[in-house]
Amino acid sequence: MGGTELLQFGLAGLKNGSIYALVALGFTLVYAATGAINFAQGEFYMLGGMLSVWAYADLGLPLPLAAVTGVAATAVLGGVFELAAIRPRKDGDPLAIIIITVGGSMVLSSMARHLFGPTERPLPAFSGGGSVKVFGASLEVQSVWILGMTALAVAALWYLYNRTGLGRAMRACAVNRDAARIVGVDTRLMVTVSFVLAATLGALAGLAVTPLTQTVFDVGPSVGIKGFAAAILGGLGNPIAAVVGGLVLGMLESLSIAFISSTYKDAIALIVLLSVLFLRPQGILGRWRREKV
Amino acid sequence: MHRNVDIKVAVLLGLIGASVFSVPLLTADRYMLRVLTFVGVNVIIVAGMALLFGYAGQVSLGHAAFYGIGAYASAHVVTVFGWPWVAGVAIAIVLTAAGGLLLALPSLRLRGHYLAMATLAFGEIMRVAFVEGKGVTGGPDGLSGIPFPSFLGIEVDSAGGNYWLVWSAAAAVLLIASNLVRSRAGRAMLALHGSEAGAMSCGMDLTGLKVRVFVISAAFAGLAGSLYAHVVGFISPSTFSLHVSVLLVAMAVLGGTRSLAGPVLAAVILTMIPFADAVIPGLSRSAVETIQEWQEDVYGLTIIAVMLFVPGGIAGALRRIAAKGSVR
Repeated sequence: MGGTELLQFGLAGLKNGSIYALVALGFTLVYAATGAINFAQGEFYMLGGMLSVWAYADLGLPLPLAAVTGVAATAVLGGVFELAAIRPRKDGDPLAIIIITVGGSMVLSSMARHLFGPTERPLPAFSGGGSVKVFGASLEVQSVWILGMTALAVAALWYLYNRTGLGRAMRACAVNRDAARIVGVDTRLMVTVSFVLAATLGALAGLAVTPLTQTVFDVGPSVGIKGFAAAILGGLGNPIAAVVGGLVLGMLESLSIAFISSTYKDAIALIVLLSVLFLRPQGILGRWRREKV
Repeated sequence: MHRNVDIKVAVLLGLIGASVFSVPLLTADRYMLRVLTFVGVNVIIVAGMALLFGYAGQVSLGHAAFYGIGAYASAHVVTVFGWPWVAGVAIAIVLTAAGGLLLALPSLRLRGHYLAMATLAFGEIMRVAFVEGKGVTGGPDGLSGIPFPSFLGIEVDSAGGNYWLVWSAAAAVLLIASNLVRSRAGRAMLALHGSEAGAMSCGMDLTGLKVRVFVISAAFAGLAGSLYAHVVGFISPSTFSLHVSVLLVAMAVLGGTRSLAGPVLAAVILTMIPFADAVIPGLSRSAVETIQEWQEDVYGLTIIAVMLFVPGGIAGALRRIAAKGSVR
């Protein structure tokens, strides 16, 4: 296999990997705040694309405004979902939250089917079709958008996490919820914030991909599982690890297409997920913490 | 006093059992019998889910995979190898139990909800395998022409016969499950609900217990898969999707914790909802279509509502009503 071809696969891996990274960040933020897996994370991805399509095609908004509307509406839905369905469960039992998000995932995708129909819906590329040449390999312009938006989102999240009071409170909450509450952090608010952020990141990923793949009400769970595999691969609860996990997973998938076959592309993420769970449950970047009573 | 309650329960169970078994004598409606047979299949899987969720405090998001492994394994050995049906059932149970063990051992060594994640991944891997493993599974088109169950040279090919077969299996499964929850292991599981740390400090091997419960629940799903394959005669990957795993979770959650009767009742209700016209005569076609259209929303909202407002599900609600009654 020539260098150009390999680069071509590498670029595809980078593109898919950055999508997985955004979805994985959503899982990791909610996990850090609640200790639970948000099964509905994939639905935020679906809604980001679907609500943008709705704002563009059904409301007739110009594309940039429609994109902002789609992501903002998903972020609001993420917050509303937390307030309506997670917060009332006062004990915060992670198993209960997992099950609630399973129910939420069913409701969100079903609602999308009622409102936007059962068929795939397109969105135009942000700055026309076509592709650019990178050392002989070609990259769709939309993929450049995907990479750029991911980089921007990760940078913004890094700033929020490390340079603001809200970020400090979120980190405190992730380390020890009870201790954070004692020093005056509103831990319930942090859970809501984590859901809003998770919804925003998922929606950005869904929005960025829709011009390439179209979107439909039931894309959520399959993307959700990939993002989840990426979060586990990196190490659940750590945002940098989620990004690394996403990129590594995207590359692994691309390499498997290049060297094995595209038939089992979707199985790669799952095999990675099971192997990491069994062999190194703290992820590649995680440090093992002993559970104490 | 306690004895009286036991006798009442026994009489009640006897009455329910007798009425369930007399259905094929009272009706020859093939559609109704088929739907009720399918309910029996789900009752078998949910019995295992109830042990896992309601007693061992774990949730599986991939039980449709065991259901599918049982169905495909049984169909394959019977149609391709020409083995007898009983051997197909046995293979289904052995394979799913082994698969359950392989999945549960590494994920239950860890605290937290690794089993939920591992089962989710396992379920999706098996879905890919069912679609891609064309040699065994027939790919996306599925397998058809799977022969009816037959033993001692008698083929069970009538709707009533299939109904009795599946519900006999369901009765056996429920008997095994209820013996289990009354045994030492069952008491250990109740202790686990009170406090894991406390139970462990009393010397209980909780990991071993959870692994055993998971293996049993996987084997129940395997048995259900084998029965489904031979009774319906056709299987395809969509019968064993993530969606089905989630429906099974919904049944266990709605049914409630520390109970078998609650989840069984939930399985009956949730399985029948899309086929309401089988038991409610005169229900119009369009009404059924409306129900099917909104079925997902109802299931999702039910799960959320139970987790938020009905601790312990149907079983918990019934226990509270019973407690109020006895105080008075």
